[in-house]
Amino acid sequence: MRQREKSATWWSATMILGGIAAAMTPAILLAASGSGGGFDAVVRSIESRYHVHASKIPFLGLMSLVADHATHGGVHSVHIAEIEHMEGPIDGSELNALVAEHAGPGWQRIVRDTNRSGDEQSLIYVKPEGGRLGMLVVDLDHKEMDVVEVSINPDKLSDEISEHRRGHEADRESSDKDDSQ
Amino acid sequence: MKQSAVWASLLALGVAMAGTVAARAQDELPAPSPIEKTLAERAEHVTEVTLDKNMLAFAGKFMNKDKDDDKDERAAKEMIQGLRGVYVRDYEFTKDNEYSAEELEGLRKYITSSDWSPMVHERTKGAKEGTDVYLKLVNGQVQGLFVLDAEPRELSLVLILGPIDMDKIGALSGNFGIPRQAVRDVKKAQKEAGK
Repeated sequence: MRQREKSATWWSATMILGGIAAAMTPAILLAASGSGGGFDAVVRSIESRYHVHASKIPFLGLMSLVADHATHGGVHSVHIAEIEHMEGPIDGSELNALVAEHAGPGWQRIVRDTNRSGDEQSLIYVKPEGGRLGMLVVDLDHKEMDVVEVSINPDKLSDEISEHRRGHEADRESSDKDDSQ
Repeated sequence: MKQSAVWASLLALGVAMAGTVAARAQDELPAPSPIEKTLAERAEHVTEVTLDKNMLAFAGKFMNKDKDDDKDERAAKEMIQGLRGVYVRDYEFTKDNEYSAEELEGLRKYITSSDWSPMVHERTKGAKEGTDVYLKLVNGQVQGLFVLDAEPRELSLVLILGPIDMDKIGALSGNFGIPRQAVRDVKKAQKEAGK
């Protein structure tokens, strides 16, 4: 009887673990392949296509926290990758297609600004994230490239900008008053 | 009897679906025309801005909150949030006349269909440069604006879909990649039409 109970417990544990593993497999595979999209996938695809290495900014996590705090949640989750020494001619259309392919679902390109040779190119993608807006910027300037991803809350950011603007206007008014006296 | 009822229902469903698809297609921004691709290949600098309905509703939130108490500013903001799409293409060339009159005509034809009415067609005799302003009128209401501004070394194409209050058109100037010149051209056209 006890043997049967023990075997039933083992069977349930195995089933639960198997279920968890089955549920997590697609997420693990997605993460491993980089096809989840967004910042990491785009940076990885650029590194692999152009044989370059992206430098990450030290303490960026801390800076992201500071930005989040300073803007009262207006700017959140900042990711920056800097790539130097992009060698050889870069096909602008190919870079554009590469980013479009790896940005992933939900990301929508709103701006593309490019020169004919394609070595100066700015791509701006956005993705609504509930009340927030994800923004992915890829900026190529000859041999240097920056990839930035940031999540912004338009309402909070707008409030913050308005606050600063009001402060500036008040300062200007008081300095004008001082000048006239 | 029963079979004919089924056929009638299927037909009604088909008509309804076709209507929905057609209405949706009218709301959607067009796919880039093949002419744009060739222009982009020749241009020294290209700027492309594409904003759909959702993006515009979201972008409206960025507009100056301080002026929400201002009735006109609020109306302009509501107009922008109600738009269905903004499509801007700007091509800068290193030499004069890098585009042909046929290409301009092709672009005009590609964007404007039967609902579009020409508002302005400004052209100097013998020159390709000039400005075209088209309005999309549905039941007497402006539901779209198309501006094609051709300068010797620059070609700008602005397409705005959705209900547009022509009195608030100035709010679009310089926003969402819409060149100030395009809005100036529309205002000038309005003034000319009012004469």
